[in-house]
Amino acid sequence: MNQARAGLLIVMALMVMPAVVGAQGKPRKQAAGAKKRANSQQSSPSSEPSASQTTSTTLTTGTESDKTVVAGSESTDSAESPTEEVKGICEIDPSQCPQVDLDSAAKRAINSPMYAVQQIYALRARRFEINPYWSFTLNDQFVSHPGPGLAANYYLTNVLAIGANFNFYKGLNQDSSFNAQTRRAARIAVPLTEYDWSAALNFTYVPMYGKFAGFQDFIFHYDGYLVGGIGGLANKPIAVIDPDNRSFDSKINVAFNAGLGLRIFFNRWFAATLEVRDYIFIDRLERTTIEPDQQNKELWYGDSKLTNNVQAQLGVSVFLPFSWEYRLPK
Amino acid sequence: MALSPRLSLFFLDILKCRSCTVFGGLCVLFGSFGFPSQVQAQEVQVTGPLAGAPAVRALRLHRKGRFEIAPTVSATLLDEYQRTILVGARINYNLFDWLAVGVWGAYGAIKTTTDLSDKIQKLNDERFNPSSADYRTGAGETGRRLVSANVGKDFKSQLGTIDWVIAPQLTGVPFRGKLSIFQKIFVDTDAYIFAGPAFIGVTERSSCGLGTSIDCSTRNADGTVATKPTVSRVAIAPTFGLGLSFYTNAWTSLGVEYRALPFSRNTGGFDSYGASQDERFPDGRVSEKDREFKFNQMITISLGFYFPTKLDSSE
Repeated sequence: MNQARAGLLIVMALMVMPAVVGAQGKPRKQAAGAKKRANSQQSSPSSEPSASQTTSTTLTTGTESDKTVVAGSESTDSAESPTEEVKGICEIDPSQCPQVDLDSAAKRAINSPMYAVQQIYALRARRFEINPYWSFTLNDQFVSHPGPGLAANYYLTNVLAIGANFNFYKGLNQDSSFNAQTRRAARIAVPLTEYDWSAALNFTYVPMYGKFAGFQDFIFHYDGYLVGGIGGLANKPIAVIDPDNRSFDSKINVAFNAGLGLRIFFNRWFAATLEVRDYIFIDRLERTTIEPDQQNKELWYGDSKLTNNVQAQLGVSVFLPFSWEYRLPK
Repeated sequence: MALSPRLSLFFLDILKCRSCTVFGGLCVLFGSFGFPSQVQAQEVQVTGPLAGAPAVRALRLHRKGRFEIAPTVSATLLDEYQRTILVGARINYNLFDWLAVGVWGAYGAIKTTTDLSDKIQKLNDERFNPSSADYRTGAGETGRRLVSANVGKDFKSQLGTIDWVIAPQLTGVPFRGKLSIFQKIFVDTDAYIFAGPAFIGVTERSSCGLGTSIDCSTRNADGTVATKPTVSRVAIAPTFGLGLSFYTNAWTSLGVEYRALPFSRNTGGFDSYGASQDERFPDGRVSEKDREFKFNQMITISLGFYFPTKLDSSE
């Protein structure tokens, strides 16, 4: 019975043990103590060094765990008899334990590279970005061209990506009531254009990166990017001048685009995006006069005009793969 | 791993003994109480010494307790007939780093017509030009009569304009952070929102037509339509927006903000509404009914100066 109780007490003690192991500060203190003792012994050469003291004064430049071993050996040596003393590596081969002046070593200049931003929260390099968005017209007060869009990018480096985007406008163009009012009041017709779709190949460059503290409580990361590319934009005039006879077909125009955007990361793979992009193309407008040959399609077109379709694109970004490993530790 | 015979007997004894079993159960119970110490160690790792600490330490308080005086330049967006550049200033006192009270005032210094206005002016000049091809045709005369109530000789003069704005406002600064540009330039940044009432000096075409003593189609001696007279009024509207400040040093900043001033006004000086049940057709007079709700958006850039110039930091 007594044996059983004793055994149970041992079991209980063993159960409590992990808590002690969890507190990892102790070995460090031991190591620091050993180091301190080593220094104090170095500074008092008059005291006659014993075998164990010799071991501690020849501290190696090894790891922290090495030092712990030295400290452990010291306490063991003092408890055991000299006959049971185990020879350390420094006694067996002193060349393995070079003398190091810790003070001068501490003053040594370290040329470790320091990066301005270490371990960027959301790395982009070698990741795909899928970016669905909704676009709004910013500069066309006559016809707005809202519509869904999708962009896909692959980041060659952390700051440079290649990709493509597609906008769909067909059926979503909105002719402002202001056009009719102006036509009625001033007897003037403004040629109007509606868009069907656009697509482009783009480069994206991310020169800006930062973080915000929200309400002094949480931190989120964001970046700013520039984007530009070339593609096509399909559009057609809305027949305003002679709607009874004119019906236009869609034509694809070469369109350049340039813009800038802001991306706010909710986590390492999901972000909200806000982008302002200008799609620049030469637009063939409806002729503002009616020619005698009203069925001649070539006479339906008038001036060509350089057009800037500036649109805001509000969306989300998903980065793939979802996770990664940093090359260097923090 | 096989238990030694002695250890097996030990566990057998324990199982046979009821009190030992109870004791053993208690040990397991207390032992399990011992486990939380390990979990606690994990919790310390998660929250660590930063438990309860603010998200940012030693935050440079660019705003708290400081006055901000910022000259501003604003440009209106999505204008139909006339663009306005407003020159002004914003004065704020920052009660906290996250809240400021102040006022923004601006004067519409530059007003430029859009391409559409220029076209209307050009076409109207041709209509009333006796040497033009259509002048003596029936179509020419019809055109002149149809537009005479709406378009005067100098079209630009009848356009609705924003002359000045005074807007007392509260500014909240929920987001405060920093921006790295090319990983070389680092700028303290904050994002803010603001709102308040705005008093807006507006000029627009004066009332005319039925019920007034002014004829909407008054002609000059040469047969052209007289330039439409305008009047000024003060509109009161909400104003709100958001912006970013980039602190270039301890006492200056660059800013960009978006502002909306939604209210109704007659931007073209036309008679557009008032007739029919839903009043969606011209009624032969220019009145309040011809005002149309506009969002009146603008982009502002600013250069802020902060006083006192010395900067404090949080703990």
